[in-house]
Amino acid sequence: MSSLDKSPAILRDTAPTPSVTAKPARLEHTQQSFALVAKPTRRLWFCIYLPALPLQALNDTDAEEATAVFEDKEGMRRILLADKKARAAGVVPGLTVNAALALLPTLCLVERNPQRERQALEALAAWAEQFTSFVCIETPEMLLLEIAGSLQLFGGLSSLQQRIVAGLEALGFSALLSIAPTPLASTWLAKAGRRASILTQADLTGALSKLPIRCLGWPDSVNEHLGGMGINCVGDCLRLPRAGFARRFGAGHLLELDRALGRLPDPRQSYRVPERFCSEYELKEEESASDLLLNVCQELLIELERFLLMRQLSVQRVSFSFFHLREPATHLTLGCLQAGRSVSHWFELLKIKFDQMVLPAPVIAIRLRAGQSQLLTARSDKLAFNDVGKRQSEPIAYLVERISARIGNESVHGVTTVAEHRPQYAWMPVDLAQVPHCAAAPSYWCEDHRVLRRPLWMLPEPRPLQLAQGAPVYQGVLKLLGRPERLETGWWDDDGIARDYYVAANPAGVHVWVYRDRRSAGGWYLHGIFG
Amino acid sequence: MADTLEKLLQNPRLWRGRDQANTQGWQGLPSGYPKLDRYLPGGGWPRHALTEILLEHYGMGELQLLMPALARLSEPEGSEAADDTEAGWIAWIAPPFQPYPPALLQWGINLSRVLIVRPRQENETLWAAEQALSSGNCAAVLMWLDTLDDYSSRRLQLAAEKGQSWAIAFRPLEALSQPSAAALRIQLISGEKGTDLGILKSRGGRPAMLRDYAG
Repeated sequence: MSSLDKSPAILRDTAPTPSVTAKPARLEHTQQSFALVAKPTRRLWFCIYLPALPLQALNDTDAEEATAVFEDKEGMRRILLADKKARAAGVVPGLTVNAALALLPTLCLVERNPQRERQALEALAAWAEQFTSFVCIETPEMLLLEIAGSLQLFGGLSSLQQRIVAGLEALGFSALLSIAPTPLASTWLAKAGRRASILTQADLTGALSKLPIRCLGWPDSVNEHLGGMGINCVGDCLRLPRAGFARRFGAGHLLELDRALGRLPDPRQSYRVPERFCSEYELKEEESASDLLLNVCQELLIELERFLLMRQLSVQRVSFSFFHLREPATHLTLGCLQAGRSVSHWFELLKIKFDQMVLPAPVIAIRLRAGQSQLLTARSDKLAFNDVGKRQSEPIAYLVERISARIGNESVHGVTTVAEHRPQYAWMPVDLAQVPHCAAAPSYWCEDHRVLRRPLWMLPEPRPLQLAQGAPVYQGVLKLLGRPERLETGWWDDDGIARDYYVAANPAGVHVWVYRDRRSAGGWYLHGIFG
Repeated sequence: MADTLEKLLQNPRLWRGRDQANTQGWQGLPSGYPKLDRYLPGGGWPRHALTEILLEHYGMGELQLLMPALARLSEPEGSEAADDTEAGWIAWIAPPFQPYPPALLQWGINLSRVLIVRPRQENETLWAAEQALSSGNCAAVLMWLDTLDDYSSRRLQLAAEKGQSWAIAFRPLEALSQPSAAALRIQLISGEKGTDLGILKSRGGRPAMLRDYAG
């Protein structure tokens, strides 16, 4: 009760006790109306804070050489973390890379890799699932374990704590730990480096009050502002009037404080190790009939669809393995642009690929393995009563996939224009796989496109034209129509042009786009046909 | 005489192609060339069928002939694609040269609905065309073929009907003597003033010859 007595008036959720710090009664009244009481469900959050994760996420933790991780910040490459050997040589965080190398020429420098850190954290989360059913990843370097339900099983808090600490050490991670009844309080305490173990809501406010503001992870501007007001710890902060605090620093920070103190619920999402589908079908004897094999594949795909449907997942990649008795297995991987789970689509792609595949020997077993699954993003269909008989259209991605499965990826593309005067660079192909949902790619207008006539057909390379009586020839002598359009540009990238473009007509009435190269002694070239 | 003719026309055993086309509610797609529209049944291109265009050589105005209609099809607010974001694509299969996007834009084609396919072999062209036609995504499928037998043209025609798509096959003039299942067959010949257009076969219409169709 002593901690409550010392704590500021704002913290009192229940009947007000006489406050130690003199506060105007008017404020107290408004504060009371704000106070929200969370339901007393007992929860304990065990926070594992890994300050050295960027270094420890590297696989070679016990390397011979001194190692340091550096980060590229605004063009400056600075040391982020250094291991024991490097620190002994004087390499400290904040040093520039060059200075560190001057101190220790044998230093092994590795750039920070957030992706690897995330992977390490996910692996650790999967490991931590042995202690509790509820693990969540607090980016970028924390894990939260809800352990209230696990205490009994593991024989009390200290035993559980010992197990976790020993496990982390064995895995090669150094961690700061803390336990608190709310997730935010737990992370703040861990960040502050307090090995706190707060089990009840009553102790929480006292423990949090002493925390310095900078452990809260608020922006520097807010921290400085608060520091300027003489507020350095959470307790000071809590003594401020709520309305004024929210107005000055935003309601978000006030909410955070409320959540940390357990006045507001703070739901978290539990991390789940993604499930992968893998299924095998063994044939009774060796088979090579493609119909039969395809049927088996379809069975496997139906199984996959059921698996995904139950979990509301979709996959973007599946791979089949065909096992032979004496030959190494044949693999066939199918990928699609949009993650899906429809059997018919996968089967369609499989049939196309299967036709092109050569099996070296009869097949004895087939395995289907799905790639990383992701949550299904479905959109609702139109409620269509009068659409009967209308065109039934599937996503264009399906068509693109089918064609590229048979003919090759580079053979299907979209187009877009580029703001560029050189005709050959005024457009570019668009990979339809890259454009999300094949949405409209931006088309850039070049002034030329609006005013000047451009041919519908372009030759991949300009074709040199023969001359007859000084005039170029293409299926007959060409008659130049109108005035030339001079394009002289691109000097900056070694592919400059200096050309006079003409629209010309041959005796058959075909309009073509020709140019005279002004660089190489007046050669004539055909560049396009108006079609 | 007129009376006899009238009687003959009343006879249920008499089957008139033109009527049949009209009773199907065959609304043509305006070509943008009024001179041509007058000769096409339904007042325009056959929408969900195969159109064959026979050419002496490329660049005779065969693309200009189609551009106004294609522009209308690729419009996002076009009648065909009004409520369907996945429709209205225009597929170019095995074009002999590079279709030039700035020029397409000038003609009013929506470039985000252009799909270009470059098959390696002729049979892949047919396969890709059939896939594109029957997928229901493509408002129009343009293909360039050297050979197209009767059987394949029938398949294309069926695929066009299934996907409610407009198939356009460009073929050399030598194909004139070969039979075809196309609903509309035209040839382009260079004339004295411009390109002449000959309607060789038209389902529900009759053959005709247009001098300088664009003029």
